[in-house]
Amino acid sequence: MDTRIGLVPLALALAGAACGYRPAKVDSYATKQPAYTFPHSVHVDADVACLECHAGIQKATRLDPAVRHVRIPQNPSKRKPCSDCHDANPTSKLPARAREFRVRFSHADHLNRVSSCTACHRQLPEAGDAAPRTPPMEACTSCHVHQAAFAQARCMPCHVDLKGYRPESAFRHEGNWIASHGALARPSAESCAQCHDQTYCASCHASATAPTRLENLFPERVDRGFIHRGDYVSRHMIDSGANPASCKRCHGSGFCDACHALQGVSRTASGAVQRPASHGPGWSGPIGTPQRHRDAARRDISSCAGCHDQGADATCVGCHRVGGFAGTKAPHPRKFLSTHDRDDIRDNAMCRACHG
Amino acid sequence: MRIAELLAAVALLSASAARAGTIEVDATTFLNVAQQTRGPGPTPDLVTVAPAFEILSITARDLRNPLADDLTIALSTWGSYELQDRRWDNGTHHDLTGDVITGYVQGRLLDRHLTLRLGRAQVQTGVARMIHVDGGQAIGLLPYGFRVSAYAGVPVSQRFATRSGLRSWNPLGGDLAYGGRLGWSLALPGAPGRGLDLGASANVVSDGGDPVKQEVGADLRLRLAAPVTLSGFGAYSVYDERISEGTVRADWNATRRLLVEADYRFVAPDLFLARNSILSVFSAEERHAFGGGATWQVGHGLRAGGSYHLQLAPGATEDAARDVGHEAEARLEWERGPMRVGADGFFLDAFDNGYVGGRVYARRQLGRAFAALDAILHVFREDVNGESYSLSGTASAGYQLARGLSAVLSGRAGTTPFLERTFEVMAKVVYAQTYRSTEVR
Repeated sequence: MDTRIGLVPLALALAGAACGYRPAKVDSYATKQPAYTFPHSVHVDADVACLECHAGIQKATRLDPAVRHVRIPQNPSKRKPCSDCHDANPTSKLPARAREFRVRFSHADHLNRVSSCTACHRQLPEAGDAAPRTPPMEACTSCHVHQAAFAQARCMPCHVDLKGYRPESAFRHEGNWIASHGALARPSAESCAQCHDQTYCASCHASATAPTRLENLFPERVDRGFIHRGDYVSRHMIDSGANPASCKRCHGSGFCDACHALQGVSRTASGAVQRPASHGPGWSGPIGTPQRHRDAARRDISSCAGCHDQGADATCVGCHRVGGFAGTKAPHPRKFLSTHDRDDIRDNAMCRACHG
Repeated sequence: MRIAELLAAVALLSASAARAGTIEVDATTFLNVAQQTRGPGPTPDLVTVAPAFEILSITARDLRNPLADDLTIALSTWGSYELQDRRWDNGTHHDLTGDVITGYVQGRLLDRHLTLRLGRAQVQTGVARMIHVDGGQAIGLLPYGFRVSAYAGVPVSQRFATRSGLRSWNPLGGDLAYGGRLGWSLALPGAPGRGLDLGASANVVSDGGDPVKQEVGADLRLRLAAPVTLSGFGAYSVYDERISEGTVRADWNATRRLLVEADYRFVAPDLFLARNSILSVFSAEERHAFGGGATWQVGHGLRAGGSYHLQLAPGATEDAARDVGHEAEARLEWERGPMRVGADGFFLDAFDNGYVGGRVYARRQLGRAFAALDAILHVFREDVNGESYSLSGTASAGYQLARGLSAVLSGRAGTTPFLERTFEVMAKVVYAQTYRSTEVR
């Protein structure tokens, strides 16, 4: 029996055993929370101390989802400073919230070192807000020198993870982000990895193993900057001609040929082959006649590769091999000849297809 | 055997996931019915393709274990079955097929100073060009802001098929790839992200001992003041002794609402072909593009943007003057509550052809349901297959059946240079959920 088959029951057994363990609590990002009802700004403007309602927070050493540290005073109309404004007791009640914390933070360590809660809590949730107003990271870095940790993408000791956050300053995803993100990822891929697993990157970048075009898979995502949106078949040759390297970043020649063969425009097609309109009169012929294919190849060899990249079997070899029909004149451009020599012929089997 | 391996991997992932801090699951059942042409000539055959896909992605992070911090297992994979004719990008000669897009185990060791990744993944840094390999990668944090990374593996080929550099769909196909990057970061006091990142990298790919790619590169990110970021990248083909790519880019947040971008790009497209391709010996072309753009958050949910690039491409002949091309885009989008409406404009003027195009789209959330419309038109400078334009429109509607479970139905119709009338239907059921242990340690 193949040993790999044995992996399946072993893995299933492990899975079964492990699934017997139940995490203390499993929750979802999608959990809906009731909207905030407390108008913070009015109370901040009235100089009501935060601890009037958030008693106990000064002793909290961690963010505990089970402890809210919110307690509205009893009978505000009879208690200072609430009675300065409240003639009657408010009737609204604070809804229960189960907040998920994604940073590790001790209020006890911080509250005796800052002059005011608003040093960090620069914005507060107002009545009707669905989401909390988490202090910005500048609130941390205005005191803590985290630049080195930031530069090395060592976020995890403070952050549980960064999923779902949107960068506000560095790496802010704005403008023509599709065109610009690569320039930031090359030197700082580990920063990207703090939020994005490779499964996310691969949804666009793993073209060789992708199931289908993203535009087909997500037609409802009208907000996404998909490259091949709409009828891309009709304009792919225009985009490719304008920027050949852009295609070649993701697609090897075999990918292009896989379709061209089925359409009968590639030489690998088993049936009839149709010469494209560009390969009309003057495209190629006996020496001394027009050879437009030469200039076309010099200009944009990537387009040629979409159909003719078959190694030693390529149609180019038949004529251009040494001793062949067109082999009396080297087909290489000047820059190629200045940087390649006979050692390359020895080291690259492709060269020997013509120079063998 | 591949199915057995896949089942084993999924089961092992399940075993680990049960003890994970965060588990993300994304499962999509997708049916796509469309028309495709087959065969040469002005009247090619028209076939109907109807592939049904099951696409699964599971990521388990922060796995509790005694060996490594932040242990992560990621797997994204799919299978498909052709209900009608085989689609052109099936990648095999079988109706039933599938692939693993990404599958790796990653852990951090030595107080998170060493990251190890093993499996099918991409290398994102430096001159690696997102190479997709079955192999391993190590990233180490060194003193004084230095960081070193290295990788080795086999370039991924579609459907586990041939790994030959010429027939693989992977642009960096071959049977061996290795490389690495040495980086240095200088953090500057102030806002997060201020500082300098510098890197030098190398990427070598070979196929049966023949060269596919031999490149070295340098990269840069500089953020001296909070609103300005400079980035640059240069790559040099050692095999060809030529610069293969260079980019310089500046991003300036002139105000909180206005971003201005400027960039210069240089590429030698022939150097993006495998070095063991017979076609790599016929050209030494160089292309340049200069330009910039701006994005303005006008306010009240309105955002506008545009960009322009001047392109210098090889001329009609080797000795002719460079061809001057133009590329421009304009964007306008308005979003308010459940409504999003936008319009894009495109313009491309290149040597062989060009187009003027436009796109309008809208999406409206209606409680648990949504509807989306998208129409796109391109008018070609030179006819394509004897036709001057291409127009297609897509209408989508979806409904959230339960938390994390939704269904989407889309239809596309159009008239294109290759199909006078074309219709396509996409239907999918998506389960996407993130589970997290709420324990905060």
